[in-house]
Amino acid sequence: MDKNLPDNMLRAALARNDPAAVELMWDRYAGDLFAYLQAVLCSKHDAEDVLQTVFVRIVRKRHRLAGAHRLDAYVYRIARNEAFRLIGRRKKGRTVEAVNESWLIVPEDRRQPNDLAEQLQAALARLPQPQREVIVMKIYRQKTFLEISGLLGLSQNTVASRYRYGMEKLRTLLENLTL
Amino acid sequence: MNDKDTQNEKLERILKRAHMPAPSPELKTRITAEAAKAWNQTSPEISWRIPVRRLFVSAAAAVFIIWLANCSSDYALARWQSDGLEVAHQQPPDLDTLPEIHYSPLARHLVSTGRKPSITDASALRSYAETVRRVLDEAQQNGVSKPPAPVEGRSLLLPTQPGLNSYS
Repeated sequence: MDKNLPDNMLRAALARNDPAAVELMWDRYAGDLFAYLQAVLCSKHDAEDVLQTVFVRIVRKRHRLAGAHRLDAYVYRIARNEAFRLIGRRKKGRTVEAVNESWLIVPEDRRQPNDLAEQLQAALARLPQPQREVIVMKIYRQKTFLEISGLLGLSQNTVASRYRYGMEKLRTLLENLTL
Repeated sequence: MNDKDTQNEKLERILKRAHMPAPSPELKTRITAEAAKAWNQTSPEISWRIPVRRLFVSAAAAVFIIWLANCSSDYALARWQSDGLEVAHQQPPDLDTLPEIHYSPLARHLVSTGRKPSITDASALRSYAETVRRVLDEAQQNGVSKPPAPVEGRSLLLPTQPGLNSYS
């Protein structure tokens, strides 16, 4: 199956000004964007709010989106901008929301320590944001370095080195786990 | 290197024990409803209008910048011109109160003519040139008077043209 088929269908729907494009867009991008936003914001609630803003913005810019060179990169750029806008507002207003919510889930049926999700989440949250977003996209969304570099507008080497440095830090942070 | 790769693989396996939650159906309903509302609120925009609108905006911005530059230039020049005219017409305020110095006839003439208003028409200019020539001739015939003895505390510098004393 052609990897670009969903994007082509989406482009066609956007060009036709067909409201069904919203559903197509959701099916195509919601999962990836939600994971990406959680990685950037380290918060499920914030990610939900920003995802809504992103979709509204995409709809308003639908005509530009239809003609975009890379639809996926454009969508990620909107998501990234919105996430950073929220972070900026938080910093400006000095409102730090210490919401202890889990954005990583460990299935209960596995015989793992109960706090594994919390430990992983805490360790990921301590990584610099650029390293965290690359690790999350690679591990949890199964993206290749090439795909990540295209989506974030970075070189493959940059993405690979961010991943490597991030993994090194994670190894230090999670050394109490059985590595 | 292999050791690092092995450790990375182990770490990846640990990380993969967890997963990230997918967006819930409620979230999908909420967001698609909001997006559909935004879709209906924004009018369909014809694609060729975007570059045309940009072109108009750019042209308007260029015209405005040029107009602003012209205004600024006119304002600066007007100020400069008025200042210049004032300087050109300004007379030394203490010209008449200068201490009397013994000038040569030519110097006296030049000082007196310098106090007269500027000559603009051709006939006046011609008569002025004739006067100067006549004075010069007289000075040549009579010889140049010796400079006066220096008065104590006063400068010997005379407001005359250079080379005046070279007449023989």
